[in-house]
Amino acid sequence: MSKKIALALFALVLTLALGATAALAGVGRTAADPGVSDREIVIGATTPLSGPFSSVSSVTIGASAYFKHVSANGGVNGRKITFKYLDDQYDPAKTVQLTRQLVEQEKVFAIFNTIGTEHNLAIRDYLNASKVPQVFAASGSTTLGRDAAQYPSAIGFQPSYQAEGWVYGKYLARTRPGAKVAVLFQDDDYGKDLLGGLKRGLQRSKVKVVAAEPYSATSADVQSQVAKLKASGADTFAIFAVGKFAIQAYVYANKFGWRPKLVINNIVSSASNVMAIASEGGTNKVVPASISGVFLKDPTDPKWRNDAGVKLYRQILKRYAPGANANDPYHMYGMAAAYTFVEALKKTGKTPTREALVKAVASLNITKNPFMIPGIFIKTGPNDRFPIEQMLLQRWQKNSWRSFGGLWGYRSA
Amino acid sequence: MRLGRAAAPIIAFVVLGVVVAVVPSFVSAFRAQQLAYVGIYLVALIGLNVLTGYTGQISLGHGAFMAVGGYTTAILMSDHGVKDVWTIPLAALVAGVGGFLFGIPALRLSGLYLALATFAIAVSMPAVIKRFESFTGGGSGINLFGTPELTASLTPVTILGQELVFNDWLYYLSWTVALIGYVIAWLLLRGRTGRAFRAVRDSETAAQSSGVSLPRYKTLAFGVSAAYAGAAGSLFAIATTFVNPDTFPIALSILLLVGVVVGGLGSLVGLIAGAVFIQFLPIWSQEISQSPGAPSVVSGLVLIALMFVLPMGVAGLVGRLRLLTRRGYHRADSQAD
Amino acid sequence: MQQVVAGLASGSIYASLALALVLIHRATGVINFAQGEMATLSTYVAWSLMTNHGWSYWPAFVATLAISFLGGAVVHQGIIRPNEKGSVLRVVIVTIGLLLFINGLIILIWGGEIRAMESPFPTRTIEIAGVAISIQDIGTIGVVLATVVALWLLFQYTKIGLAMRAAAVNPTEARLVGVRVTWMLTFGWGLAAVLGAVAGMLAAPSLFLDPNLMAALLIYAFASAVLGGIDSPIGAVVGGLILGVGLNLIGTYVDFVGADLRLPVALAVILIVLLVKPSGIFGRSEVRRV
Repeated sequence: MSKKIALALFALVLTLALGATAALAGVGRTAADPGVSDREIVIGATTPLSGPFSSVSSVTIGASAYFKHVSANGGVNGRKITFKYLDDQYDPAKTVQLTRQLVEQEKVFAIFNTIGTEHNLAIRDYLNASKVPQVFAASGSTTLGRDAAQYPSAIGFQPSYQAEGWVYGKYLARTRPGAKVAVLFQDDDYGKDLLGGLKRGLQRSKVKVVAAEPYSATSADVQSQVAKLKASGADTFAIFAVGKFAIQAYVYANKFGWRPKLVINNIVSSASNVMAIASEGGTNKVVPASISGVFLKDPTDPKWRNDAGVKLYRQILKRYAPGANANDPYHMYGMAAAYTFVEALKKTGKTPTREALVKAVASLNITKNPFMIPGIFIKTGPNDRFPIEQMLLQRWQKNSWRSFGGLWGYRSA
Repeated sequence: MRLGRAAAPIIAFVVLGVVVAVVPSFVSAFRAQQLAYVGIYLVALIGLNVLTGYTGQISLGHGAFMAVGGYTTAILMSDHGVKDVWTIPLAALVAGVGGFLFGIPALRLSGLYLALATFAIAVSMPAVIKRFESFTGGGSGINLFGTPELTASLTPVTILGQELVFNDWLYYLSWTVALIGYVIAWLLLRGRTGRAFRAVRDSETAAQSSGVSLPRYKTLAFGVSAAYAGAAGSLFAIATTFVNPDTFPIALSILLLVGVVVGGLGSLVGLIAGAVFIQFLPIWSQEISQSPGAPSVVSGLVLIALMFVLPMGVAGLVGRLRLLTRRGYHRADSQAD
Repeated sequence: MQQVVAGLASGSIYASLALALVLIHRATGVINFAQGEMATLSTYVAWSLMTNHGWSYWPAFVATLAISFLGGAVVHQGIIRPNEKGSVLRVVIVTIGLLLFINGLIILIWGGEIRAMESPFPTRTIEIAGVAISIQDIGTIGVVLATVVALWLLFQYTKIGLAMRAAAVNPTEARLVGVRVTWMLTFGWGLAAVLGAVAGMLAAPSLFLDPNLMAALLIYAFASAVLGGIDSPIGAVVGGLILGVGLNLIGTYVDFVGADLRLPVALAVILIVLLVKPSGIFGRSEVRRV
């Protein structure tokens, strides 16, 4: 038997095996839209379960727990919600492949809360062409809401990064004229959007950005960037960095003896446990000068200890995601988004269709999301594809965040 | 006898070709797309096999050459309106030149140092891509979906009277390139070049003393393997319809090496098995558990187990099966071609 | 000047992991891709002992070293040894598999969030001539130098060190003189794991503990080790310090480079050095017998 014939037979066997698996992989559902049957609705997402960004997958875990809770309590119009999520290792190429798998093989009704800016943008065209709704994408990228005309079925969730930066800029312009700002930012859309928003908010004001240092997410540390920022003589430090790098920014600023009068930390990395670590047991002198934005209830904030929404959150996590760390605020994000999805789904009537979902998502008016700060509502309309356009500012005082002032609202451009 | 020996591989190859052509009729369109990616990885592995299996040099950087090919394709398509198919040879050329140029200084490095140098390329590539943003689109990357240069992404294309949807088109495209690539490699390796490569692998000193020019063949091996990786990268960009620095991570380079070793150096069966492994391991790992971190645990265990169970890769297994079924004299070296 | 000091600090952390890599290579001739992950795992163990079980720093430190030694030895006996007879590639693949396994295990057990880690040194900063230097960094450099000295003493003056060197350089002849080669290799792996654990515990207080603590450093550690000479502990340290300072200076003063290109440029420089002196700064040239 020649090797090549063995090869051909091997290929044949492989083919037949794969073909057989494909044949057994499931017959199409007999229903109006894919992913909808009498008893269940199937939705899908990709999330980084492995690799360097796996901590963000807590968002998906939180959402999943919420959907299980809803399904256990009757579901939506008698249908339970099955949430299938796949590990894309934060690699947009895998996001594309796995999203196709969700749409073409798992036949999901919609793609919900996929993680990552580039990732959502990478699949946007495909989902648009296949008319699969891409709802509540887990990214603050401004293009998600801005391009609604071209991509009617794609929508984000959290306040856009540009808008967030704009709020910080306006706050500075109003309260600290003459300030000099130094910015540490991640050199991707997230960091650049925040910086861009900040600069727009500072237009025509007496506040100037005197230094801006980018860092790459693959850097080991940001020591030299912080050193440069300190050398610029700025008295305000804006940290548009994620988790570990935000902490380092605080630590190195402290180490180098820099004492900015105000530090602006961004929403993504201002979770209390991040701040607590940055405080270095209370010895860090830079942390107490911090402010940040917020729109979700932080589960470690003593203010919400007896809050019904946070209690519900803890119960749901305990029951449906045992082992999940309830103090990780990413879970809250996922639950808030899941809640919003369920409310939108309720509006689609007896037999949900993708078209109905898109319509519902484009006309949201939710004022009582239990996982969000009271007063912040989720609203979309024909000219407004940004679900959340409000945030509070909060100040770090005595080891916790205290919000101050009123709600900041903005029109996302 | 000589003709007979040449005939058997050719017949088997034709049978393979027929099988490949017929598969999409038996599987779902989505499965065809997954198999398209298998074909893409196969192209890269054929090239890596030339480098590692034949000249014995270890590369941890072929993901970077895939990136070069992928970006060449993306830039040609989006900025210069070149149709996707025509970018493939260009991408292979650019990557091949890059590999050849890298091979020149790499001549002085061997073993561990070469591995580090190639690792360095793979690690640096995303950063370099981001740096030349105006050219490459930086972190946001280049989106190809729906552009006219990309065949069949929105509407099916008709080839030879058959209407192909995107997934099937990708499948045929990548496997055609893979089969053509295999034939080219086979021809290359049959002759003097192949013998020279193997001489380098077995003993550099002996090769040199027999008059094999080390610089020429080592850099040639690099160039050739990089060209294949470039073609694979080009196909990858076409299939994924999107490129950005994170779509060619260091994990890809590592996986390519894993694929070549798991598949078993030196045989087409092995390479196909390796490509299947690269494509499906992440998917299978997830089916076992979805707790954060679990897929990685499973993948790691599978890799370690495979090295115990199949130390010579899948090709080694096939070789051993051959030994069992064949009587009489038979070359025990299952890696000899 | 601040950059130089900062560079020395980060460089010493690269050096500490590089030492583990050098030891493994010197003792066994392979490069362990999972070295970083093993170090991270050790650090998590230390953290867990301190946080979840209330141990205080030094007992946890010692216990972690002991556990790491055992871990390294077990890995060698159980996983590496059966593959040693095969090609280098097999060992490489196995260590890659180990990397994936450990990385996933850490996330599975402890989750991916960032955590703070205690430091054995006070975190005060002192100022000398306008440059801030933290005591912790001084301590790190001190520990690294002490480790190098200890290793040197081990290899030069102890029987075990001699046996290890023999086992690595020429296993067959070593066996002939009674060296139990396999146990030497196992010992080498155990010791390297200990060095990795030390590296992790030095790095974690300033870089914070998350599953990727050492993964990010691995490439820098590799580069340091290769630059200094892959078989030379002193080289690892010198290489690490040069790399740390060099990266910072290049990043600050060469504008073309900016944030992104620091690592690639540094790697390019290292490769150039290698082309000129292939065995690194302190390495010895390999003589190939025909």
